[in-house]
Amino acid sequence: MSAPGPAARRARRLAAAGLAPLLLWQCLFFLVPVGILAVISVWSMENYRLTPDLTLANYTAALGNAAVWRSLLLSVRTALFVTVACGLLAYPIAYFIARKVGRRLRLVLLVAVVAPFWISIVMRIAAWRILLGEHGVINQFLVGTGLIEAPLGILLYSPLSTMIGLVYAYLPLYVLPLYAAIDRIEQSWIDAAKDLNAGPLRAFWEVTLPLSLPGLVVGAVFCFIFGLGEFVTPALLGGGKQLLLSQIIQDQFQRRQDWPGGAAIAMVLMAMVMGLLAVSMRWLRRASGERP
Amino acid sequence: MSLRRLLPSAGLLAFTAYAALIYLFLYLPIAVIALFAFDSRAISGLPLAGFTTQWFAAAFADPALAGSMATSARLAAASALLATALAMPAAMVLAWFPLRWKSAVLALMLGPVVLPPLVLGLGLVMLARAAPGMIGEPAIIIAHATMTSSYAALMLYSRLLGFRRSYIEAAMDLGATEWVVFREIVLPLTAPALVAVFLLAFTDAFGEFIVAWFVAGFTKTLPIVIWTSLRQVISPKINAVSTLIIAATLLLSVASQLWILRQAGRARES
Repeated sequence: MSAPGPAARRARRLAAAGLAPLLLWQCLFFLVPVGILAVISVWSMENYRLTPDLTLANYTAALGNAAVWRSLLLSVRTALFVTVACGLLAYPIAYFIARKVGRRLRLVLLVAVVAPFWISIVMRIAAWRILLGEHGVINQFLVGTGLIEAPLGILLYSPLSTMIGLVYAYLPLYVLPLYAAIDRIEQSWIDAAKDLNAGPLRAFWEVTLPLSLPGLVVGAVFCFIFGLGEFVTPALLGGGKQLLLSQIIQDQFQRRQDWPGGAAIAMVLMAMVMGLLAVSMRWLRRASGERP
Repeated sequence: MSLRRLLPSAGLLAFTAYAALIYLFLYLPIAVIALFAFDSRAISGLPLAGFTTQWFAAAFADPALAGSMATSARLAAASALLATALAMPAAMVLAWFPLRWKSAVLALMLGPVVLPPLVLGLGLVMLARAAPGMIGEPAIIIAHATMTSSYAALMLYSRLLGFRRSYIEAAMDLGATEWVVFREIVLPLTAPALVAVFLLAFTDAFGEFIVAWFVAGFTKTLPIVIWTSLRQVISPKINAVSTLIIAATLLLSVASQLWILRQAGRARES
């Protein structure tokens, strides 16, 4: 191998100088904090003081705790429900925007779906509280029109309101990748299926749906990952009777002051998120690589 | 007209009705907040009592609310500026230089996007134990710059992949230095993308709650003030502030997204 020339050396120096600030920043304020949590998760608390240690006791305690398991299962179930609901709600909208409207309207409709995603979460939740409360707008409307006799108490501070808040938060996120996937499908492929005597449903089932699968998967992965770690929505809309994993973690840290215990559960949550992401990335890479 | 001719339009009608319902779902909460911001009842609810703009005046006269808005705007501007400044050089390197560890760098950039914010917040609290001076405004800026610079880099990277490198090569052939190329060619051509990314990062940082809440100390950002007020009956003042911020958020995000999408469409055509 010959020694790199001055131009190549200069390019390498430039590349290093351009990347270094962001990489250093992310190492210091992303990797290091997560690393500290990982380290603390094998430490112990002695006389209410954080003590360096190398123990798996926090993990065995967390995994032997029925309350942790309950919240873990509830988190998974909630995230799954939100993912499926968002997918089912988002698909027709993404399809409508990509296939059924003109070019200019398409852009406007797409942006209108995504825009609410950027509204501050506390404001969105304030709005849902006004809508779902016992004397909230929806109850007053339903009672006023005579559809129900007494206000529904289940609308707010229940798993239902958490689900509504989460679906509202992540629906825009699901529409984007779905739209991109459906938009990429050539009309001629669908026409070809129809020429071969496939009805519109069959053409959808055998051409459109499989080709939009990557969009479905990307949306599902992000929806599920974000749903799994969500904290604010369940804390403010869920009523606090059934705690999600993130609430258990926060409880360990702030109320119980059991930092190693909380860090261990946080590591479990993070391992689930990263594991899921790694598996889905591998799947996506294979799926896109196999396409001609 | 035969049934066959009617069918596709029935399908379109069903799609349109469904779309209308989804948009109603997405915009109903926003409409409700705006509605009650202009209603004179002190406890938000139906029936409406009468039109007023007093809550807007009351919100700006409330030092805690007005102060937190100013604090949030200042901190969000700082972190968005920092995020854009960190992301742009990295995105240029990722897009234009041959890199051995490119996929590892991209994976690292994805990290703060997918990490539950709760975990990042707790980690930063632990880090701040080593540097207690960080707690408060510096920690909030740092946290938001960490969260937004990662996706800012990814967005700018995908934008720069479509950049015509022949412009750069032509300028370099004519003897321009890298700095001149950046200032005279890259910066003017990517300025709209930089502005769009800055605006998204600003909006995100302005409204972010959890991580800021963990590291805030005694600093009160607007989301923290709203969170505190959510424990009680929601004051119409909060509705008034939220209405203004949501209007600004929608405007900013629509503007920057329209721009990004239009650019993407143009890049695909050319």
